[in-house]
Amino acid sequence: MAQSPSGSAVKALQLELKKIQAEPVEGFRVKLVNDSNLFEWEVAIFGPPSTLYEGGYFKAHMKFPADYPYSPPSVRFITKMWHPNVYENGEVCISILHPPVDDPQSGELPSERWNPTQTVRTILLSVISLLNEPNTFSPANVDASVMFRKWKESKGKEKEYENIIRKQVQATKEEAEKDQVKVPTTLQEYCVLSTPAHDNQVDADFYDDDYVDDLDDEEEMYHEEDEEDSGNEES
Amino acid sequence: MDQNADASFDPSKNYDEDTLAQQREIEKEIAASQAMVSQLHTFDEIVEEYSQEDAIYRQKIEDLKSRFKNLRKTRGDGNCFYRAFGFAYLEKLLNDGKEYKRFLDIAQKSKDELIGLGFPQFTLEDFHDTFMDVVKMVENPGTVDGLFQAFNDAGLSDYFVVYLRLLVSGHLQQNADSYVYFIDGERSVKEFCSQEVEPMGKESDHIHIVSLTKALQIAICVEYMDREGEKCNSFKFNPFESLADDTDTAPAFTLLYRPGHYDILYPL
Repeated sequence: MAQSPSGSAVKALQLELKKIQAEPVEGFRVKLVNDSNLFEWEVAIFGPPSTLYEGGYFKAHMKFPADYPYSPPSVRFITKMWHPNVYENGEVCISILHPPVDDPQSGELPSERWNPTQTVRTILLSVISLLNEPNTFSPANVDASVMFRKWKESKGKEKEYENIIRKQVQATKEEAEKDQVKVPTTLQEYCVLSTPAHDNQVDADFYDDDYVDDLDDEEEMYHEEDEEDSGNEES
Repeated sequence: MDQNADASFDPSKNYDEDTLAQQREIEKEIAASQAMVSQLHTFDEIVEEYSQEDAIYRQKIEDLKSRFKNLRKTRGDGNCFYRAFGFAYLEKLLNDGKEYKRFLDIAQKSKDELIGLGFPQFTLEDFHDTFMDVVKMVENPGTVDGLFQAFNDAGLSDYFVVYLRLLVSGHLQQNADSYVYFIDGERSVKEFCSQEVEPMGKESDHIHIVSLTKALQIAICVEYMDREGEKCNSFKFNPFESLADDTDTAPAFTLLYRPGHYDILYPL
């Protein structure tokens, strides 16, 4: 019963896909890699404004296990990424995607874990948040991690990390043009399509990032919009 | 996850994957050989099962036989406590309309409380809807057989378990002050929930039982079949506060605990 793709997995994925396509959310777009396979999604993530990743268009594949949503999917960037928490093959290493077995990393950092109520949306928001705030305690790419820390600790004077990221962001423009996508570059554009922010936790993490700190007023404005949206949705 | 990446800096990766693969194999075997919830077994069958075990266990089985008529087994997949709890309780509600109404009310209200704690509304609603569908089978069709089918349907049974896990997590988080000192390691209540309660297949301990009985206000009894004493140690979980006043809080049902596993007991 539980070994082959279960009814639960198909049901949960259909529901999520339908919901995301009906109401596109901030920062990313999704589609199936192949229309006949519900277990592999292609996602395009927009680099968050006011970060090194602004204007970037990053593609990744999400693979869902047969026992989804009891186990998490994997996320692998197709776009070349130089990031402390992304392996050389593009695989993203983040606590929310760890299978629920005991792992030695537990206890190092209080971090979000997989549970069956997590969704593609909560995962991608965590990934977007991770772009700008790498976790250097358990790096997947040690060189990138060292370079990031130099950049951070020198308050941006050591430009090696920044240069690599900007170059990679620049390189994604072509792909965006090919897909006829205009990547949002202001916070306002970035959030304008956002759905009501129900899962406060993730949104809090997301907006908590340093780069929004000086935009407090605008941040409030978005929350108001969210509430209005919420009203519309229910009517 | 990437075995081509510099393996020296994170040797735990491969170990993790191996553990996981092995675990999956074991899960498959268990799923193939054990029903999520079994039919009733008589105690003669259970006595037979234990005939090769040592004297202490045989004696304890005889003790159970003198007090209980049947045993219903649950699959040993780490979710047995929740499945045993869910099945035994709904089965009891088949004959207790008043308690059913009380429970339905608690179950309905729990959804907003969990959303308030930060669980994503979209998926939480899905789990809650399925949970309520199963609960409402108490009225319709309202038979043990109906519940039996539902609890052996992975789509319904596992969603039901997920929701009970969320209720435990919700109760622990809402009452974090009362539980934080009973948690191993340097973990917050929230971390404990995300590591030991919310993931499927994570086994239940005393703290999980206390939480679920309190969250739902249901008194239960657990017979502990360990190596201590001559009879099974009977322990009552009474969520109705005052320890002295446990006169009219008869347990809704009784579970049998054999180290690491819970089944359902049916009295004579």
